[in-house]
Amino acid sequence: MKMTTDDKMLEAAFAQARTPDVMPSEDALNRIMMDADSVLAAPTPVKRRPKQGIGVMILEAIGGWTAFGGLATATVAGLWIGISPPAALTDLSAGLWGATIEVPLLESDMFAGLEG
Amino acid sequence: MAPVQSDADLLAAFAGGDRNAALTLTHRLTPRLMGQAYRMLGNRAEAEDVTQDAMMRLWRIAPDWDADRALVTTWLYRVVANLCTDRLRKSGRGVALDAIEEPADEAQSAADNMQDAARATALHDALADLPERQAQAVALRHLEELGNPEIANIMDTNVRTVESLIARGKRALIARLSGRKEELGYEDDNR
Repeated sequence: MKMTTDDKMLEAAFAQARTPDVMPSEDALNRIMMDADSVLAAPTPVKRRPKQGIGVMILEAIGGWTAFGGLATATVAGLWIGISPPAALTDLSAGLWGATIEVPLLESDMFAGLEG
Repeated sequence: MAPVQSDADLLAAFAGGDRNAALTLTHRLTPRLMGQAYRMLGNRAEAEDVTQDAMMRLWRIAPDWDADRALVTTWLYRVVANLCTDRLRKSGRGVALDAIEEPADEAQSAADNMQDAARATALHDALADLPERQAQAVALRHLEELGNPEIANIMDTNVRTVESLIARGKRALIARLSGRKEELGYEDDNR
């Protein structure tokens, strides 16, 4: 590609500005080392724990998500067994107690007064 | 002969409290930082300030330095380029001619030295007017003479973007300088 006059002008400007690397003055080197010393002398910053919500703290207290998963599974299983006990379990409890006991949660006539 | 320690190893040693590592890094890295800053700013005192500022940032980042992410020199190129464009923008340039250091070439006439100083000022003024990333890309390519892939790495972008930044930057520089061709002696210049 042919260089235009403008390209030549710009290249000349760049060429002139391409000075070699230079060593900073003794004073500047001393200041840089003083900065390094100040960083070395500073106490090591303690990394702060990020703020945690109450949910996270409870989760950590019970052992994290893994423990939470186990707990949730056990809870659901317990609830299901309570609602719909397997036949074997019903037989077992009957065997243990001699009879199946039913406890009504609501009296059958509890709603009688509410109906028209 | 003891093997030469890499910059990253020295930085890790500094983070561990080794002052000699800082001394070695200072002598190894500062001439290039100073050169880069001087080429962009054209002022020795400012270049020293930028060099000190860049090294302070290096000392501070030492404990968290991840050698797998970047070379120390690449990171410093970026820091110095950013610090210089910040200074160029804030100063607005238009630095008085007598504040610019004349090239110390005693073989040249005083008139030639004046013209060199005026050209240097003109280039730095024009760089100061460019958008920051254009100025950085142009300076890294044409003052530091780095390849486009390395510039892309330094500027955390891709080669095509670098090419575009350089092309636009050069067009803008030409637009700014061409109006001053005669004043800067580029018209009858065969030097």
